[in-house]
Amino acid sequence: MTDHSHPSTGHGDSHGPDSHGHGLPAHGAQGADGHDHGGLAKYIYVFIALCVLTGCSFFTYSSLWPFHETPQIGWTFMMIVSCTKALLVILFFMHVKYEANWKYVLTIPAGFMSIFLVCALVPDVGMRNRWASQEALSYMATPEDNAQGSAQDKEQEVEGKKHH
Amino acid sequence: MDASSHAPGHAPEGGHGHLQLAYHPALPLTNGKLIVWLFLSTEIMFFAGLIGTYIVLRFGASAWPRPHEVHLSEPIGAFNTFVLICSSVSIVLALEAARADKTKPAKLWMIVTLLLGSVFLGVKLYEYNAKFSHGIYPQLPHSQVHEKADLFFASAVRLRLATLKTELEALEPKAPEEPAAPVYDDDPAKAAAQKKEYEAELAAFPAKQERYKTQHDAYEKKDLPRLTLVNDLTTRELKEETTGATAPSFDERHAALLRLADEIAPLPVGVHHAEGLNDEHPWLKLPMRIPGGNMWASTYFLLTGFHAIHVLVGLIVFLIMMPMRLGAAAAGFIENVGLYWHFVDLVWIFLFPLLYLF
Repeated sequence: MTDHSHPSTGHGDSHGPDSHGHGLPAHGAQGADGHDHGGLAKYIYVFIALCVLTGCSFFTYSSLWPFHETPQIGWTFMMIVSCTKALLVILFFMHVKYEANWKYVLTIPAGFMSIFLVCALVPDVGMRNRWASQEALSYMATPEDNAQGSAQDKEQEVEGKKHH
Repeated sequence: MDASSHAPGHAPEGGHGHLQLAYHPALPLTNGKLIVWLFLSTEIMFFAGLIGTYIVLRFGASAWPRPHEVHLSEPIGAFNTFVLICSSVSIVLALEAARADKTKPAKLWMIVTLLLGSVFLGVKLYEYNAKFSHGIYPQLPHSQVHEKADLFFASAVRLRLATLKTELEALEPKAPEEPAAPVYDDDPAKAAAQKKEYEAELAAFPAKQERYKTQHDAYEKKDLPRLTLVNDLTTRELKEETTGATAPSFDERHAALLRLADEIAPLPVGVHHAEGLNDEHPWLKLPMRIPGGNMWASTYFLLTGFHAIHVLVGLIVFLIMMPMRLGAAAAGFIENVGLYWHFVDLVWIFLFPLLYLF
């Protein structure tokens, strides 16, 4: 069973056979699976944290976000927020925090694979536009196409063609 | 477990020396839970493949539409995220209630989860409709999205305008002709019949005129302005080609085409959605220039479509659970279903920023 290691100071007298009864309310009745049923508060805290984090990632869309000029900051921030939310869901809602060591067999290879997969795709898929054929270049949109308006882009279009 | 054995593998006290072996599972989890985790690991591979490819495609693309160019609404995405998070909480609360053998709260929380999942799907359908009604489909023949304002775009615009013109002109009601006096036959019986017919036509003529008048009024109100607009666009488009003493240069014509493309579906600056011709007149449905739009549509519909299918499967499982007694005996089953549902929520937690905010 989980062992409640009480600090030696401050709990002078009542270390008796039911020292378990002294725990905080959250460490109440222990269920058969080893974690507490009084932990509904924990789920509410996680829910509030998830809502706050969702608000954080949505915050990058609002006009109050100060880094609209450098989108990379926003992307990094959003990925951190997403990973934190995912961790909260995995650890608490899916109970993985309380599972035995098999959880590492599951999560570590999956994590490796996800990162490795993205890296492996970069040379062929990510860099597909660097060595594209002339035919492909004539069909695909270019960054110049992405700029707004048209008359002012006419010059840019001509310039852009020279670079290709 | 055998009641008399204190520890696995040891002979009971005062026993006859038979080895009492206790069952030791290889893993400290039930078969059902193990299988669900193995299934989830395959799902992780599935979605990691899709999401990983999306990341590489998006960042390797030379042009990618901004959310407002493709009618993507971030607040709706955030709302969907909130809905799924709530449904994750409700299924956890259902599990806790079932573990405590409180069947009524457990069933209630499961119903809440089912409802929240349905809300998510409903909002998703609304979002898809927003894309379809603006001509953004994952592929041809419905897709109206062009990568650049090139020859194919120009000919597609002309084709659409010509089709609209034909359709609208066909709607114009024809004025009824006044019945002509017949050339009477020599035979008096036939002549009498002809006269009767002619008189009947004369009698019916005012009613026909009235009907024509109402139809024509309706046409003038609704369809004629549309036809006028279509004719305007057609002549303006053609006019761009023929102004000037000599034929306009390639760059001039290209600039004119870009202007037209911008009028149809403007690429908005900043975060605000700009209204173009297609927004003002939804019936126009002119081809649009959205650089990177086709790749965007493919990846968006694939990712969200697969996710929506997974949500639907989860909802079907919830429906199957409805007649069950959700007591302590069903807690294991609820836990496993919950694991799947949390995974679905997890995927959306990654999809939301990747699709809506990047």
